[in-house]
Parts: sequence; C-alpha cells; structure tokens
Amino acid sequence: MATTYLDITNEVLRELNEVILTSANFDSAIGIQAFVKDAINKATFDIANEEPQLPFFAAGTSGATDPFYGNVSVATVAGTRWYTLKDGSSSITTDYASIDWDDFYLTTINVSGETTPYVSKGLKFLTLADCKRYYRDNENADDADTQNHGEPQFVIKSPDHRKFGLSPIPDKVYNVHFYAFEKPTRLSNYDDTIVMPDQYSNVITAKARYYVHQFKNNLQQSAFALDDYKKAVRHMKSNLINPAPKYMTDDRTYF
Amino acid sequence: MASGQPFSVSLAGGLDKSTNSLALLQTPGVATKLRNFEVSIEGGYRRINGFNLFGGDDSVRPNGSNQVRGLVVYADGIVAVVGNNIYFSVDGTSWLQVNKDSVDAAGDNYSTFTGRSALSLSSVGQCEFTIYEGLTDYGELVITDKSGNNKPFLFYMTGTGALNSRTFFAKQITFDHTNTAKFCTIHDNHLVLAGSSTEPQTVYYSHTGDIDNFTGTGAGSITLEDKIVGLKSFRKELFIFCRNSLFKLENINDAATIRVVPITKNVGCIDGQTIQEIAGDLIFLAPDGFRTVAGTARIGDVELGTISQAIQPIINDIVQGSAVYEFSSVVIRNKSQYRMFYTSTTDTSATSKGLIGVLRPQGFEWSETLGIQAPAIASGFAYDGEEKFVHGDKDGYIYNHNVGNTFNPAGVETAISAEYQSPDFNYGDFGTLKTLDYIKLSIKPEALAQPTLRIRFDYDSNESPQPPDIELTAVPEPALFGTAKFNLQAFGASEQPLVRQPLTGSGHSNFFKVFSSDTRAPYTINGIYINYRPAGRQ
Repeated sequence: MATTYLDITNEVLRELNEVILTSANFDSAIGIQAFVKDAINKATFDIANEEPQLPFFAAGTSGATDPFYGNVSVATVAGTRWYTLKDGSSSITTDYASIDWDDFYLTTINVSGETTPYVSKGLKFLTLADCKRYYRDNENADDADTQNHGEPQFVIKSPDHRKFGLSPIPDKVYNVHFYAFEKPTRLSNYDDTIVMPDQYSNVITAKARYYVHQFKNNLQQSAFALDDYKKAVRHMKSNLINPAPKYMTDDRTYF
Repeated sequence: MASGQPFSVSLAGGLDKSTNSLALLQTPGVATKLRNFEVSIEGGYRRINGFNLFGGDDSVRPNGSNQVRGLVVYADGIVAVVGNNIYFSVDGTSWLQVNKDSVDAAGDNYSTFTGRSALSLSSVGQCEFTIYEGLTDYGELVITDKSGNNKPFLFYMTGTGALNSRTFFAKQITFDHTNTAKFCTIHDNHLVLAGSSTEPQTVYYSHTGDIDNFTGTGAGSITLEDKIVGLKSFRKELFIFCRNSLFKLENINDAATIRVVPITKNVGCIDGQTIQEIAGDLIFLAPDGFRTVAGTARIGDVELGTISQAIQPIINDIVQGSAVYEFSSVVIRNKSQYRMFYTSTTDTSATSKGLIGVLRPQGFEWSETLGIQAPAIASGFAYDGEEKFVHGDKDGYIYNHNVGNTFNPAGVETAISAEYQSPDFNYGDFGTLKTLDYIKLSIKPEALAQPTLRIRFDYDSNESPQPPDIELTAVPEPALFGTAKFNLQAFGASEQPLVRQPLTGSGHSNFFKVFSSDTRAPYTINGIYINYRPAGRQ
C-alpha cells in the first residue's frame, strides 16, 4: 500500500519529535504540523522540478498502444501544423510538466482508412529558429496556395511550450506518439498517496526536514537534512533514470 | 540533532493564583492549579486522602437527612449537632441524644437520662463548642449556635465504662435573662459568651471556675463598638473578632485592670468558624485574605499582613460570596495544616470547595479541595489520646476525615479528582523554540499509582499542536525492609522513583499537568526533570 499523505507527514513529525496527526485532525492541522504538511508538497515539487522525467511522473503507461513507443498519442489533421500536447488542457498550469522531444514517432498504422505500406518513422526535433529559417515560408505559402502539404519530417516546440508543430504540415491524418510527464498533484487529503514508491519516500522526508529545520531556525540540522536529500535524490535518479547499460554510438555514416 | 539541555524543578510554593504569567517564570515550582492536592511538609505536592463514613458499613445518621450543624471530639467519641438535636456516639453505629430537659443537677444515670424528654432547640445554626476541662472525667462541653435562637447548652458525662454505666449532665446556661449566645470559649477559667441576639456587641464572662454562673464574683460583661463574630482564647488573652475590627481582652481575672485593647479597627473577620490556632498564632479569614493575629497586630491593616496573597483571586471570590457560604475550619497538626471549607446552599457534595494551607518555612502554601462538603468539621484528641478528624455534611452524614483513598459521600465510593498544573516553563529563554525529549517525574506512591500527564505548549495556544494525554506507567510502591507487606508492595521498586516518559511536541514554553481521577492511593509529586532540545530563535 502506497504511503499516504498522513503517513509521510507523521513520519516527518516523528523524526522531529513533534505531535503526530490523525485522520480526524489532519485537515485542521496547525503550527508545525501544518508546516510539515506544506513541506511535504514543497519537497515533492522540488523533486519534480529537479528531475521532471522520473518514471513515476509519466503521463501514461509506456507502449499502451503496442508496439508504438510513447505514452501519449495525438492524431494530426491535414493542413494543421500545431497541436496541443495535452488534450483538453486549458492552460500551462494543467499541461504536461515535461516532454521527451527526442522521441516523437509518426505513423499511419491504426489510422482509419490507411493500408500498407504504412508510414512509420521517428520525427527529428527541429528548433523553431531552423524552422523559421529553412521551412516556414515555403510551407506557409503552400498552405495558402496549393495545399500540397507533406509527410512530416520534423517536430517543433512552440514558444509557449504548450504545443508541438510538424514540418512539413501534415497532408493527412497520422498518429504522433511521444513521451509526456505529468506535474505532481498537490497532496490534500490525509489518504492521498505520494506519487513515488515507498522506497523513495525518504527523499521527500529529507527535504521536508530541511524546510522544517529552516523554519525552526536550526541551520545546522537544516544543512544535514539537505545533505541527506541530495544523497537520496542522487540514488533515486541513478536507480530510475540511468539503469540501462551504458554504451557509445557513432552515428556518422562516413568517417 | 541539537544537544539536549536539562531543566529540573523542585515542586514547592503551593498554589499561586496571583502572580502574572511572566513573573511565574521565575517560580517554576509553584502550581497554577492544585486541586485535591496538599503541600507536603516534606516538599512536593501530595494527593489528599479521602473520607469515609464514621461507623463504617454499620454507620447510621444521628438524625436522618438533617444537616450536621456542628461536631466536636468529646470524651471517647463524637458530639454531633444534627438538625435541632445533639447526639453523642463512640463509634458512629448508634447515637445517644443528649439535649435532654430537666436533667438532675447531680446527674442522671443512663436509663433516666434516655428517658428524659428532649430539650427543644429552635432552628439550630452552625455550632461552636468549647470544653472546660475542670475536674470532671472528660470536661464540660458548652455548645452555642449561630441562629441566635438558643441559649448555650452545657453537657458532660462522667464514668469511663460502657455508656449505660455513665452519668450524664445537661442543661441550658442562662447568662442574661433570656438572652441567647452565638459564640463561646473558655478563657482562663471563665466561660466567655458573645453574639447575643439583643446585645451582639457584648462579651459576657462567667464566674471564675464556675462556667454556668454569670452573677458571681469575677463575672461580668463588656460592650464593644462592633458586632462580634468570634472568640478565641489564646495564651493569656482573649481575642474578640468583630465584623470590622479586632480586640483583645486582658486581665480577665483582675476586676481593677481588666480591659479591652483594640488590635485594629480596619480589619474584621468574615466568619468566626474560620478562626484556628496553628503554629503559635491565630489564623482567621479577613476580607482581604487569611491573616494571623500576630501579623495583623504587628503590621496593621496593610495587605502585608495577609498570608494568602498567592491565592488572592480565590479569596476575593470567597469573600464576595461569604453571605451564602457556610464556613468551617480545622487544623491537622501533624501536617502543619489549616483546612477551611465553604459550601453554599446550592452546592452539592461534589461542588463544595475548600482551601488547604500548609505552614512551611517560607510561610503558608495553599491548595484547593473539591468534593468535600463539610459545614461542620472537628479535630481533637479523644480520651484515649487518639487524634480524630471528623466532618459532617448537609445530608446528615458524619465522616472520618482525611482517611482512605476515596471520597465516600453518603457512603458511595467516589474517585478523587486531583490535578496539579505547573506554570509555563520557558527554560530560560522565551525566544527559543524548544523540542521536548523526555520527562523524569519524581513521584512517590503510597501504593500503586497511575496518574496522567498532560503537556500544553505556549500557554495552551490554539495555534500550537498539543500532544495527547499520557497515562504514566503504573508506579508501584516500593517494598522497604521492615515495613513491606506480602503482595502489597513491589520488590525492587525504587524508593523515590523517577518515572521517565518520552515526550513529543515543541513550543516556546509549556506547562505540565499531572492529574488523576481514580480510587488509587495518594502519591506525592516531588519534582520534574525535563530534557529538551533548543532550536533557533524565532
């Protein structure tokens, strides 16, 4: 059973030898208890800000649409360049926290009416500057005139980070698959569960202690807690982000 | 973690209701609440004993549910004024009515005495007693009451065997025609009476060595300028307590030099029932607090003369309600203790209150009682030398006072609800946040004790998380060589146990409360040791 907001708050309170909370008085916490509750959320946000692409922030399960890579898919519309990354999101406050711009995948497989041979390929990331410099003018002229459009080769990030764009502008419907990571939700109720496995709850508690000791003006203890946090987050990142064998690839075609 | 800091407090000083919260930081040993505890003469605060029925399981009430108006230890038993009658009992299981009429001047034997018709007394009020030792076996007992309806009543008996082998004497004393008296005392072989319904300012004194003769040589009267509320013979002087003044009568045996000397004309006595002799002085309740006669005589009416400044707010409440309170008081000599109880007409046994003052080297230290209804109380040495403490309530029950582990109003065993609360401790610095690690409570049980500990931070602030109450680990009474009894005490238990209890919570200051509401034995809290960790200044 995942650690609840009450569990982890009390864990910190016990570490500090403070009065613990119960499910009955959790909502009406005061003083140091309320501060620890806040510190738990701050610590979680700190972790997300430091490494937003930790697996437990993933927006969905990998390969939900087998065999495609990614956890989110968006269907293109012929003649439309820009697409909101998160369907239904109304502002940046509800958008994904992070996108793996290096892993966009374009395909016609599973698109209604499409048959073999299917289009199925990765999209290279194109900076907005290059897009403007080399492609935008021609593609816009085509869009305004003959509307031939084309099969997208590149993915572009919008300046407001809310959308991805395709170049060339799609000439038909494709499915674009990519990896997205959610923002952590602020814990509120006593039985809300933390986003990460229990194993890494000490990362939250260490950072929470850091804040509480600062609150108590106990700078030495605060420094110790920050050191604990740094070690714990380093281990977590090592375990969760870089567990694969390391190798180098030379992708130059000709030497 | 930050290194722990020690803080220890020896509990002393008693209840302090007068000092402001910041000043109390300098006196951490006092108590801001001390209910049903008494200041121990050895230091620390001891939960008080209870009371149980005089006569035990076979106890009977002398006069049904009529209020006990007065009690006195006499001969080998107790004389009780209950309702409008007067009774005597050795053991509380049967009572002999002694307000008899037409008793022979030479005394009645038992059967004659019991066969006499009752002497009718009218609407008897709270009583005062005085015993003239004289030459009789147990002395001669004079009873007056505050109703102003009745003449003084004289009773005594002779003989040391069973009651039915004794001789009884009883009559009313006429000292001034039909006048009644409210107050009485024996002073230098004279019976002194006061509080006459028609002459409330006059003191009457009897013939020397003949306490029912107010016409012979040496008898007389003196009229003061203030209404008398109490009399007390103290050494060679008779102290006369008036409503707004205090006098002493000197040289009662010398008609040429007898005189009344004013002590103060600005301080009076609230109620004569509060006057007691303790530690070589007289203590009484004045409008501004408890005073000693010596202190008042020396310092006058200034506030310094009071010995109860520490509980002045309680005194103010008592004085304000004095019109409806019935007062009673007693001295428990082996505890250097003065107890005063007060109960109103609407108070039940559970809501009746009292004060306990213990004379310590630093002066009187106080605590409160709750649950003892004692409109009549007495202590005294019985004929066999045993010191008895008894009190009676408004329902006609008479109790052994200051015994056992429970209150027993009307014979129903009731837990003693006791609480001690310390002032807030700031550990020397209000600005520093302190996290409490543990407490070591020095507690001395008289049998198995298990009080509860409560900690409240920052003056019980709603803005600070407050920890839950902690029921302390049961503290056994240690088995000591020479006194231990099988299966009653714990072998290996510490004689002066320090109960260690981990604590949680933090604050800039905190207080401790130790309380119990059970039927267990008394225990004494001697002191507190706290280990805490200071954080930064906030």
